[in-house]
Amino acid sequence: MNDLALAAKTEAALKPKISAKGVDVYYADNHAIKNVDVNILDKTVTAFIGPSGCGKSTFLRCLNRMNDTIDIARIEGEILLDGEDIYDPKVDPVQLRAKVGMVFQKPNPFPKSIFDNVSYGPRIHGMARNKAELEEIVESALRRAALWDEVKDRLLAPGTGLSGGQQQRLCIARAVATAPEVLLMDEPCSALDPIATAQIEELIDELRQNYSLVIVTHSMQQAARVSQKTAFFHLGNLVEYGETGHIFTNPEDSRTEAYITGRIG
Amino acid sequence: MPALWIVAILLALAAAGYLAGRARAIRSAGGDRRNMHSLPSYYGANVAMTVLIPALGLLVLWSLIQPSLIERSIADDIPAAAIGGDTTLDLMMADVRRVAGGLDQLGTPTLITKPAEAPSEEFLSGLREDLGSVGVALASDIAPGVFRAARSYQLAEANGRFWMTIAVLGVGVLGLAAAYAVTNREFRARNVVERGILAGLILCALIAILTTLGIVLSMLFETQNFFSQYSWTEFFFGLEWAPDFRGNSSLSIIPLLWGTLYISLIALLVAVPIGLFAAIYLSEYASPRMRTYAKPMIEVLAGIPTIVYGLFALITVGPILRDYFALPMGIGESASSVATAGVVMGVMLIPFVSSLSDDIINAVPQAMRDGSFGLGATHSETIRQVVIPAALPGIVGAILLAASRAIGETMIVVLGAGAAAAQFNRGLGELVNPFEAMTTVTVKIVSQLTGDTDFASPETLVAFALGLTLFVITLGLNVLALYIVRKYREQYE
Amino acid sequence: MTDIAMPGAPRKGSLLVRDARTARRNAAEARFRTYGLIAVLLGLLALVVLVVSIIGNGASAFRQSYVTVPVTLLEEKLDKSGTRDPAVMAKVSTFGYAPLIAAGVQDAMDAAGIEIEGLSTKGAGGIVSKDAPAQLRDFVLSNPGLLGQTVDFTFLASGRIDGYFKGRVTAQTAALDKNVSPEQLLLADALKEAGALETRFNWSFITAPDASDQRPEAAGLGVAILGSFYMMLVVLALALPIGVAASIYLEEFAPKNRITDVIEVNISNLAAVPSIVFGILGLAIFINFAGLPQSAPIVGGLVLTLMTLPRIIIPSRAALQAVPPSIREAALGVGASKMQTVFHHVLPLAAPGILTGLIIGLGQALGETAPLLLIGMVAFVREYPSPPIDGIFDPATALPVQIFNWTQRSDPAFVERASGAIIVLLIFLLIMNLTAILLRRRFERRW
Repeated sequence: MNDLALAAKTEAALKPKISAKGVDVYYADNHAIKNVDVNILDKTVTAFIGPSGCGKSTFLRCLNRMNDTIDIARIEGEILLDGEDIYDPKVDPVQLRAKVGMVFQKPNPFPKSIFDNVSYGPRIHGMARNKAELEEIVESALRRAALWDEVKDRLLAPGTGLSGGQQQRLCIARAVATAPEVLLMDEPCSALDPIATAQIEELIDELRQNYSLVIVTHSMQQAARVSQKTAFFHLGNLVEYGETGHIFTNPEDSRTEAYITGRIG
Repeated sequence: MPALWIVAILLALAAAGYLAGRARAIRSAGGDRRNMHSLPSYYGANVAMTVLIPALGLLVLWSLIQPSLIERSIADDIPAAAIGGDTTLDLMMADVRRVAGGLDQLGTPTLITKPAEAPSEEFLSGLREDLGSVGVALASDIAPGVFRAARSYQLAEANGRFWMTIAVLGVGVLGLAAAYAVTNREFRARNVVERGILAGLILCALIAILTTLGIVLSMLFETQNFFSQYSWTEFFFGLEWAPDFRGNSSLSIIPLLWGTLYISLIALLVAVPIGLFAAIYLSEYASPRMRTYAKPMIEVLAGIPTIVYGLFALITVGPILRDYFALPMGIGESASSVATAGVVMGVMLIPFVSSLSDDIINAVPQAMRDGSFGLGATHSETIRQVVIPAALPGIVGAILLAASRAIGETMIVVLGAGAAAAQFNRGLGELVNPFEAMTTVTVKIVSQLTGDTDFASPETLVAFALGLTLFVITLGLNVLALYIVRKYREQYE
Repeated sequence: MTDIAMPGAPRKGSLLVRDARTARRNAAEARFRTYGLIAVLLGLLALVVLVVSIIGNGASAFRQSYVTVPVTLLEEKLDKSGTRDPAVMAKVSTFGYAPLIAAGVQDAMDAAGIEIEGLSTKGAGGIVSKDAPAQLRDFVLSNPGLLGQTVDFTFLASGRIDGYFKGRVTAQTAALDKNVSPEQLLLADALKEAGALETRFNWSFITAPDASDQRPEAAGLGVAILGSFYMMLVVLALALPIGVAASIYLEEFAPKNRITDVIEVNISNLAAVPSIVFGILGLAIFINFAGLPQSAPIVGGLVLTLMTLPRIIIPSRAALQAVPPSIREAALGVGASKMQTVFHHVLPLAAPGILTGLIIGLGQALGETAPLLLIGMVAFVREYPSPPIDGIFDPATALPVQIFNWTQRSDPAFVERASGAIIVLLIFLLIMNLTAILLRRRFERRW
């Protein structure tokens, strides 16, 4: 099944997983995101591309309220997850982030063992009733992150001792272990070498079966390789959003074309 | 000639040398500065340096060595028979020095010219009155022996000073001549002057090493004296501290160490939770506004001298603890107690723990926190399960440094803890009762060295053994703590 | 891979409904946060209690009760020969003057019409400080011409009477106290009513020398402040050049080798050595070995210098380090020697930082007590030291040591004195630290 056909099918079958309407973000006086509307689909990889400082990471961090940890950030507009406003005062960001996991630009394993890294999320969310269940969750998460075979003999070794690519897959396993519905990835491969990057991209493609994935990337090749939908951000505006193949072959906006052909960014 | 005058003359000599050297260098270049290797001022500075450094060095050395040489030779001249009864050689030498000083002030070298000449009784009592008029009050008439010694002391001193003046000024003049002679336009004056300055800088940096050496050697020497009079096994492993100035004391460090460690433990029990939680709150939760006000205010506690804490323990905390805790519970009636000193010392250490922990918590990368938040952890879960474990080595280092401070603290325990040593034969109940007065190593160092005792007795010398032990313990803790903290910082750099 | 079973599968609950576990976790969060807040408040509370306790105890030391009495300088008592020869008059000791003062108090009572049952003339004289006869004697010896006349004198009231007006002494405690009687308190009240006794600001607390155990009302900080000042001069004169030179060497010239490492580790360890150890060093080296006088500011200054040096070197190095390498490169680039670069460019730029560190280091030295106890600064000194440079060899005491000394005296009036002295000490420290902060604000440079 080619990507285009799959995308067309899922779009028809599913209502949007996340839908953002009229989102504005301010950092103190700086207007970082300007009136963005976007619908993100389930079981789809959506790529956010654009030049540095265009607001794509900022917008990604709005989707699980990571901007709450920054004092000066202020957000307006509406972001719905399964039809529920995630900025509703009744929503606890803790519960939200259990549903919307995140993987960061630089691998950031905790200075603990591999097992403790992966079991951290399930433990704080109380997902396992006993040790055996916890071990099961850890194993399945590591398998999903394609790391199990490499670390199964040294689960108690520190996570910081792994290679860069392994660390990033550990972080993905850590995010997967909390059983999220959406997985946000902020330039997950920018600190990795090409081989590790290829492994992560392969993994992203696998994960698409179960999750809605949103990936911020600097590399247009990567966006083209892994995503079905692509959103192009420029100076805080969402310039263009659509099928990845369409955007890359036939962009509608001149700025998108300029970026893709390497004239800006 | 007083030392001040010698220094003044040397300075004048140096100034003259500076001008002369500078002028000669310019002359040798035919008045054209472009022909000279260095700037003219460097030639002058070179001459001035050569005048001052050797001469001043000689002056300092001579002044350090001369008094002890004279003293030794005079002390040898005092007949053993003159010492005895209620006087000792040390007391007698003190009298000799004072009389000699008085004679200097009276300016009466003509009264009696030869030290050997026997002075008459009435001359001596007249002299006593004269000395009294220049502020040298003596308890009794001057013994002829003392007078003779004072005279020879005075003559030897004058003699020494005379030769010192000649020698120092001679070296200065020689330096001037030598430096002046080598001055010409080819001479690399800047390099020489800069080498001199560099040597000075190195010397200053070495003072740190010299201080440590001084500490270790001075204490080692006297400790060795102590152990030649008192068994070291008794000192380290005995269980009783009962100094008796008539001799036959029990001088064991264990009861003192017990008090020290107990008080330090209470101090840490107060300071570590409060300091750590305050650091966590201020670095993770507090609004920037609160941080700007609360943080410096807590740090003010670190700038308050320990004598202030000591008085606080003595007049406020001690009575409160006694009246509201110890007396109602019937477990102590002294305002000075382990708890008093411990609590106050804990307050003193709060800013120490909190500012160190604050630095260490801030050194944990934000990425760690983001990773935890991204998984849906609450702030406190992130702190307890990610930030603190990551910062643990650093925090342990900070606590060790605080412990070392607590162990070496003096004024708070002098004023707040009491003077009675822990008594191991009275049973465990009294040993662990925090409302019991107890003394520490530092308190006893102060009391043994400030009493009116013979400096050579083991009761006094024990203070050096205590000091050395204290130094070794705190040094060990510091080295360990600094090592841990440094390793920790490298981890996140 | 997709066929792996997922225990703990996603909970599909609504975000708007807070589940029980989240509520529990949020409660734990709130608790944790409260602990933190409590810790901060405890720290602040400790500061407030400390300051209030010291000020509460010490503020009254700056006020003192004075009695004004007419004293008749009886010729037959003070100069029996009638020659006005100072040498003869000096033979009358202070004991000869005390009855005159007592009579003066009696006169003041008569003039104001005060009568108190059971109070003898001698007892009435007891409300005046024991320091007063000496004061009167000094006055008479320098003004023999006034003999035979009646002169109004203002004397310190005795410590107990002063304590009565400060609430330390009451009629009940006076009944049990051999140093003061309830009748004397009544007299004090009556004299206050008549305007002959007043409580006012007491400059002599700051300027006068120490006084003996029996006369707390006369004890002052003059010698201690001078001694502390002399010690600070010594520290400044030695620690500034040596500290700066050592920092320059370590930061700019030292090769990276073992010796440099040893020096650096040494300096950071010295900064953490207990201060009492420096006292032992001072006693052993400066007093016993070098034979410098005990109780002299020079020895205290030397000990404090050694103690302060590492605390000056550490911030000085930081200040030098903060000067960007581009400045050095620029100077070296135009052909300046390394030494010229450092002294012409780097050092002036680092000067504010070094100065700030120096002031803070001096502040720490000013408050240090323990090492001074060991080198005999805890002596009873009533003579002001001479002006520098000779003065630094004269006996003196120091502010913190004077405080300690007073805490060891039996009369409770000395607790007030000690607390008052702490206020003086803290004011000095406050001024120094504010200067450091202002310096930093004024000259702070961000590269």
